[in-house]
Amino acid sequence: LRDITPAAENNVNARFILLDKARPTAEEGPQHRKCLALAADETAAVHFQLWGDECDAFNPGDIVLLTDGIFSYDRNQDAVLRAGRRGRVQKLGEFCMNFVETPNLSEIKWAPHPSDPKNYAAVSVVSPYSRLFPPL
Amino acid sequence: MESKLVNRSPYDADSPLETSLRAAFSSLKSKLRPPFPLTILDTEEEYSKLNRAILYGTLCEPELTEVHIKHLHGIVSDAYKYFTKMLVKVVNEFYCKTFGNVKKQILRMTREMVSVSAIGFDVLLVALLRQIVGGDFSKENSWLCVEVLDILWSFWDCLVEEEPVILSGALYVFMRLLADQSRVLNDPSNESLMKMEISFCLRMLRERFSICLRIGRDIVRLLQDLLSIPEFQELWRDLVCNPSTFRVDGFVDISQIYSRRTSGWYFSLRLTPEMESHLRFLLSHVKFGSQKRYQVWFAKKFLLSEKSKVAIDIVRFICCGHHPSNEVIGSDVIPRWAVIGWLLHHHDDEIRTKLKLALFYDWLFFDEGAEDSVMDIEPAVLLMVHSVPKYVDMTRSLVEFVVMLSDRYDTRRKEVVFGGISRAFQAVVKRGVVRSLDVVLTCDMISPVLREILAKFLQIELKTAPADFRFPTTNQTRHCFTRYIEFHRCVAAKGEDSGECAKFANYYRALCPGEWIEKWNEQRESGTFPGPL
Repeated sequence: LRDITPAAENNVNARFILLDKARPTAEEGPQHRKCLALAADETAAVHFQLWGDECDAFNPGDIVLLTDGIFSYDRNQDAVLRAGRRGRVQKLGEFCMNFVETPNLSEIKWAPHPSDPKNYAAVSVVSPYSRLFPPL
Repeated sequence: MESKLVNRSPYDADSPLETSLRAAFSSLKSKLRPPFPLTILDTEEEYSKLNRAILYGTLCEPELTEVHIKHLHGIVSDAYKYFTKMLVKVVNEFYCKTFGNVKKQILRMTREMVSVSAIGFDVLLVALLRQIVGGDFSKENSWLCVEVLDILWSFWDCLVEEEPVILSGALYVFMRLLADQSRVLNDPSNESLMKMEISFCLRMLRERFSICLRIGRDIVRLLQDLLSIPEFQELWRDLVCNPSTFRVDGFVDISQIYSRRTSGWYFSLRLTPEMESHLRFLLSHVKFGSQKRYQVWFAKKFLLSEKSKVAIDIVRFICCGHHPSNEVIGSDVIPRWAVIGWLLHHHDDEIRTKLKLALFYDWLFFDEGAEDSVMDIEPAVLLMVHSVPKYVDMTRSLVEFVVMLSDRYDTRRKEVVFGGISRAFQAVVKRGVVRSLDVVLTCDMISPVLREILAKFLQIELKTAPADFRFPTTNQTRHCFTRYIEFHRCVAAKGEDSGECAKFANYYRALCPGEWIEKWNEQRESGTFPGPL
């Protein structure tokens, strides 16, 4: 996870574990439910956005495989990882995976690379840990 | 893809096991109906594939069970070893998630494998026993109990002959389940199951006591939890007063059971494979300090039900069934005592007493010369020592408990229990599990009476140091420091086992606060001790 950067492409393939899940936001009816989760692997953590049925299917402790996911800004200008329309998220198992909670890539200020505007680079750290899901 | 075997959500990844079974089935489907081709299967690969196909067929086509079974009998060439092995994998991997009719077929095929004495049928029975969840009184769980009991009962003689260990394992499981169930009062659906379990247990204990003895000392612990059931009350009386009723040569007293260590295998029978893998991961890979999230997930998944006392089995398992390697012990992975400390904190008083008994059970009759291992008793003493000073309540409660046990566990054999606990304490010091129990012996928050008894276990005398004219003032700091140095200089000159140095040890222990001693011990080890040793 450490190597992902925000982009408008479905290019993220990763295996991680969900540490915590927030209550879904009550928005626009059941099909458009979204909820945020804290995801992490041995290298980094990130906020993962679950859509619709995904909100119920996944729980803290689940080990997840993401294929063709996308790491980009949502409506609130937060950088989140999600499956997106072309991506797929599957549950592989539970519990048996190591993780770190810092750095959190959603709590980093990104900006386009000066020499390569298509790619984003980290500018500064807003918070070392997730502010929505602080460590226990 | 929709699964016929397993009740899955669309978000679950495909299981490689299920995929391989289904693939074998689809490709060989035409060959699974009579008339069966008489081709000899040349390669192991073909044989395995056909077995997988038949297995999938038996699980998903119940109406064709007889056909598939006949086919299997016809083609078998390895005494059903591969078929049973695959069936065990299915049970271990997804028994709890399979559909009801698939469960029925699994039990049907288990019965078939037992009846032909298939290679590995014992492993299969164990796998099913482990799927019985403690404290779960749902229909499905009860049904599984009934089915397994029925198989054991039907094949009793064959099991006694060929795999008596399985019967002893089943006895452990059902006694444990009965203990949980007997507390749930007045549930009629429960009653008939309990009757079956009681019949099984009594038959084992009365007719095949020598097989039951294989369990070891924990059978006593289990029996003591069943005394509310009249049949067990009677059995207990016989065990204590009339051991000859059990007709085992050489068995004359209950204390003979005490000396037999219970193998960790029995404790694993009460953990589902998932629980075991989670626990082993926690104890082998999670850093000390990073365990909180794992503990939350584990508790939510396995420790939520009030009726389940599975924590008791977990504690026994951690002590006797999971001995980490030296590499893991020396690393920063969370130690066993910390996990047990968490379990103790997590539960309330009623279960906590049982958890403490589970933690100290091997202490009561410890004998390194016999079968006992210091690794079984290590977590308890480390929890005691490491809880000072931050969680001194824990230390106090553990010391109180072990002292109480030495007095009350077996009032007619107090010396036996005292001897066991004493040997256990001395072994942990001798083997270097802890350098010494000083930090507990000098802890002011624990009553002097308890500390006195603790010293007795360790065969140390805890009188205070005599007044010394060199240190006439009230502040005895210098006195304490001097005695500490005197002890270590004595040991350096005369050797550790010399009795002469013991008096200096008693003096410094009586005078010095535990934290100072710990600090000085560390300084000595690292070579920074500020004194003339």
